[in-house]
Amino acid sequence: MRLKIDPLKCVRCGLCEVACSLNRDSVLTPMASSIMLHVDDKANYFGLVLKSGGSCLVLARPEGTSTGEQAGGSGGPGAKPILLREACDFCEGSPRCALICPTLCITVVD
Amino acid sequence: MYLRNGKIGIFDLASKEIGEEEFAEGSTWEKMSSISIADDLASEHGEDSLILGTGVLTGSFVPASCAGIVRGRNDADGRPRLMPIMGFAGFELKLSGFDFIVIKGVAERPGYLWIRDGMIDVVNAEELRPLDSWARTDKVRTDQGDPKIQVIAGGAWCDSKHPQSQAIVDYWGGDDKSGIGAELGKKNLVAIAFRGMGELELAEPEGHFEDAILLMREHVVKLGENHGLASYSDVADRGDFKKLLHRNVGCYGCPFPCRSYLKIAEDPAELRLVAKEPGYLHYDIPALREAFEVGLDAKDATVALMKCAKAGAEARTVLRWASEISPKVTMGSVDEVLADPADAKRSRVEHPPGNFEASFGDEDTYRACLGMGLCPRYWAKAGFDMLQIGSFAQDTLGRTVPTDDS
Repeated sequence: MRLKIDPLKCVRCGLCEVACSLNRDSVLTPMASSIMLHVDDKANYFGLVLKSGGSCLVLARPEGTSTGEQAGGSGGPGAKPILLREACDFCEGSPRCALICPTLCITVVD
Repeated sequence: MYLRNGKIGIFDLASKEIGEEEFAEGSTWEKMSSISIADDLASEHGEDSLILGTGVLTGSFVPASCAGIVRGRNDADGRPRLMPIMGFAGFELKLSGFDFIVIKGVAERPGYLWIRDGMIDVVNAEELRPLDSWARTDKVRTDQGDPKIQVIAGGAWCDSKHPQSQAIVDYWGGDDKSGIGAELGKKNLVAIAFRGMGELELAEPEGHFEDAILLMREHVVKLGENHGLASYSDVADRGDFKKLLHRNVGCYGCPFPCRSYLKIAEDPAELRLVAKEPGYLHYDIPALREAFEVGLDAKDATVALMKCAKAGAEARTVLRWASEISPKVTMGSVDEVLADPADAKRSRVEHPPGNFEASFGDEDTYRACLGMGLCPRYWAKAGFDMLQIGSFAQDTLGRTVPTDDS
């Protein structure tokens, strides 16, 4: 199982970040999730960064999705850097980010 | 307390002292309304207080639960000014550690309020006074080192306390149709900044999540394909607007966005991060309608609304006044209006048509929806039903919530 992200379907609603934390800590917050919105407001440039396992990141930029180990995306200085966060555990087989994503930007593939 | 922090922050700008009050949730939906609570806080702390707050459902999984409010006094007609704050501002405000924030007094020197982690400071920022709202937002985010800080910024018109000023939320105009921008000026605030790094609890997280997904899916099927602002208003359903469309953007929790970003400084099809300020985010329906009515095309309308946002001026009024200078409005006439907010010829009070305020046919439904923390524009489209929303109470708040009538 893996998560497929089609960044151009993203409308930056932020539900994936909060749904992830709900699974992890049963609270609503975007600060510790395995998936993170990267946003540049003025340029309307936005995408998702997913910590997929180990230190591997999926960088879902509007211009294309890639994988790597570089630091990508920041939740700000008060947020835990994504490389220090827990990796996606697929919510015991039913990833909540994919369940709640309203545009099918995030889907589950085998 | 579920979906709440249990805390009201009270900040006196003159003494720089912060006080706290315990927040107790009301027993009915009406008493839980952020608008009612803000009215009560104004009665307690003074009508000249500026009050920020969120609805009980703000930040939940209920679709489009993005809304917060800012309340201020209205010198002109005695009615309170009320500004919805959308985007991620309501969500982040709720996670800042406060349910409501009361801002009293006047700052001795120009500064901005900085709210996060249950703390409030006023940061002296005289150097921000000459800057426009965009540069103020940039500076606050750079100085505090966090690009996700939410900034309600003023501009020159707000500093001058002009009745037609507009507070700008994260660069964009359209939230403030009641002159909250002038209230920032009266308090010597160049901006209010906040960041949500807290967390909220739900009574039954699983039940809330599952109910919200079911409702959202029902809405998505009902609403069909999304075309951004054009899905909400015919004002955006025109060829030159669509040609400049980059991407549509949702507020927190919104599955059916009304925000359409037009690129005017580079190819709208450019997906990479190239230009720093390539365009503008449209969701101000009355201002855009006025722009087209005075003869601007989509590109010039975008430039005009951007200029108004930077100046902290209400765009529909500026365009109307520009048409008094020359019936065929040009950027020159827009610039002329914006240049001097102190111009006595253009200091009269006007009441522009509401933006989000016009979502429903009646004010009561608008206030009920916004007061819960829900976007009135989305819920007017999806169908606002108190019974349906009320069904979330048990899993969300751990109790049923009646209305005053039940």
